[in-house]
Amino acid sequence: MAPLVTVEPPFRRLLVANRGEIAVRIFRTCRDLGIETVAVYSDADAGALHVRLADRAVRLGPPPAAESYLRGEAIVEVALASGAEAVHPGYGFLSEQAAFGAAVEAAGLAFVGPTPATLAGLGDKIEARRTALAAGVPVVPGTDEPLPVGDAGAAARIEAAAGEVGYPLLIKAAAGGGGRGMRRVDAPAELVDAVAAAVREAEGSFGRGEVYLERLVEGGRHIEVQLLGDAAGQVVALGERDCSAQRRHQKLVEEAPAPGLTMAQREELHGLAVSVAREVGLRNAATAEFLSAPDGSFYFLEVNARLQVEHGVTELVSGLDLVREQILIAAGAPLSPPVLEAAARAASPERCALELRISAEDPGRAFLPVPGTITRWREPAGPGVRVDSGVEEGWRVPADYDPLLSKVLVVAPDREGALARARRAIDEFEAGGVQTTLPFHAWLLRQPVFLEGQLRTDTVEREWAPEPLREAAAECAADAVARYLAALDQRSAPDVAPEPPCVDPAGGWRPEPWT
Amino acid sequence: MSDHREHRGHYRMRFEGLADGHVHRDPAELAPPADRVPEVRPLRRSAADRATGVHRFETTVAGWAFVVAVEDESRALLREKAGQGAAAGATHRAAVVRAQIPGRVIRLWASEGDTVEAGQRLLTIEAMKMENEVRAPRAGTVESVRVAADSSVELGDELLTVR
Repeated sequence: MAPLVTVEPPFRRLLVANRGEIAVRIFRTCRDLGIETVAVYSDADAGALHVRLADRAVRLGPPPAAESYLRGEAIVEVALASGAEAVHPGYGFLSEQAAFGAAVEAAGLAFVGPTPATLAGLGDKIEARRTALAAGVPVVPGTDEPLPVGDAGAAARIEAAAGEVGYPLLIKAAAGGGGRGMRRVDAPAELVDAVAAAVREAEGSFGRGEVYLERLVEGGRHIEVQLLGDAAGQVVALGERDCSAQRRHQKLVEEAPAPGLTMAQREELHGLAVSVAREVGLRNAATAEFLSAPDGSFYFLEVNARLQVEHGVTELVSGLDLVREQILIAAGAPLSPPVLEAAARAASPERCALELRISAEDPGRAFLPVPGTITRWREPAGPGVRVDSGVEEGWRVPADYDPLLSKVLVVAPDREGALARARRAIDEFEAGGVQTTLPFHAWLLRQPVFLEGQLRTDTVEREWAPEPLREAAAECAADAVARYLAALDQRSAPDVAPEPPCVDPAGGWRPEPWT
Repeated sequence: MSDHREHRGHYRMRFEGLADGHVHRDPAELAPPADRVPEVRPLRRSAADRATGVHRFETTVAGWAFVVAVEDESRALLREKAGQGAAAGATHRAAVVRAQIPGRVIRLWASEGDTVEAGQRLLTIEAMKMENEVRAPRAGTVESVRVAADSSVELGDELLTVR
């Protein structure tokens, strides 16, 4: 691990313009650095973990994001009134909005992220494609202008553009992220409807409806590169992550390094990412996403100009605390010696890490979000296991935001070791009251295609068949409840020879009477 | 159907939120547990549960979260017998489509009187920023549409009926 050098707190107080696990994650590093913390929250999050862990917390408004976490001006006012000197936007919400970054800086505060100019350039995915081309980085074939939605004759022109790109294709939102506003189209007949739906979803999620087309490269892998840059223009790559385990374009599992790449391939990929980052003058943290085609070539997809959900796997492999580095950079420091050392070792990683996203989604029903109250929450622990959570037992998961609850991260000297730890951690994790993605992870971590490092972005969609798994589990659950009741009946009937209740090899529960 | 007295002390279980139907357990026939026994937690009983003799339990197996409603099998059989007469008149079954997620109805694709195919989309619910399409469980005619575009729905709310 890189030594944690003690520094003077670069800021006295920092506000996190976010919620959930990422707000908690950032507060933890602030504490390490001796920085006081300010949380903001909506009514749906009153009493949330991130609110209670902050030194102070300020209410923003009602649950809908547009009336709370997306109120950039109000958040800047809160930051000023609370004496914060810096604002960390987390991911999602306002994190990649140039206007928010500009407002924070105009108020005399430090924005923990790229410059507004960089955000404006990269936030528009169409613009980002042009930037990559200018840097000599290959992109997936697609349209380089927004689709002419709503114009006279728009349908015909969209169909013509799609014909040039070729099917199957993806409709993507120019302001997109997290799979929102994204649609797969296999045939011309579905195109116009799908574009309309993508535009509506993009408008609802980002306030901007521009969409573009991109060829869908099948059998590819999603590999992304962690970047860090300082105000002086120095940019480094800190290793790559394979995020091919996806469903509905939402990542489920990420790992670092990407399995099966040679050192030369790693160096090539990291070099492409740094080229794009230099082209946009990247300051602070960002991630360049690439598609790795079956023939081994890399195509640039987009840059996420913020901390990613999955930044933790890179931290575990590199030994860095990326939030700490972000904060130091925001205070004007050059890239730190540990960062430069990690960058020098990035193409020859010495550890393997995995992240498993625990979301309030039902993997038995197409991963539909399922808000509800968490009645049981027991996190795994032990060697090589880190859990970043934003929830706890008794918490009601609001329907208003992303369903991500927690991230299980594991690290080991090699991939086999990391997989074993991941299985142990997932089997230990108990979450009740809301259905989570846990059963999916328990399954994936035992699939040969994943164990061999052969997963593609379409594998999960094709192979995940939850029904037999849920049915078998339901049978087992029925047995468990019957045993529980039988044990109670025995205890209340003294004429029956007392037998020990259900024997639990792990020494778990004791049945108790209920009323 | 066997006599209800034979089933005294047996359990009938339903899994809430999953497919209709139930499983039966005879305590005398339970095999010893092969694996780690999942923890079972009784849930607080509602007045309706007390009136119907239902107990609810929560348990998780391999990451699947279950709520199991249990009643005594003999009691369930008696209840069914009593219900048969009342249900005799209703021969054609209607499929009530309920909300599988809480959210906002952003679009209705079908209206009352429409003939729909099985799997045809009926409406779109937006939840957690994703659009989710609700499709017809079977072919038939749409009746009693209970929601309007832009209205909010809770989990389990009746949306419409396909007959």
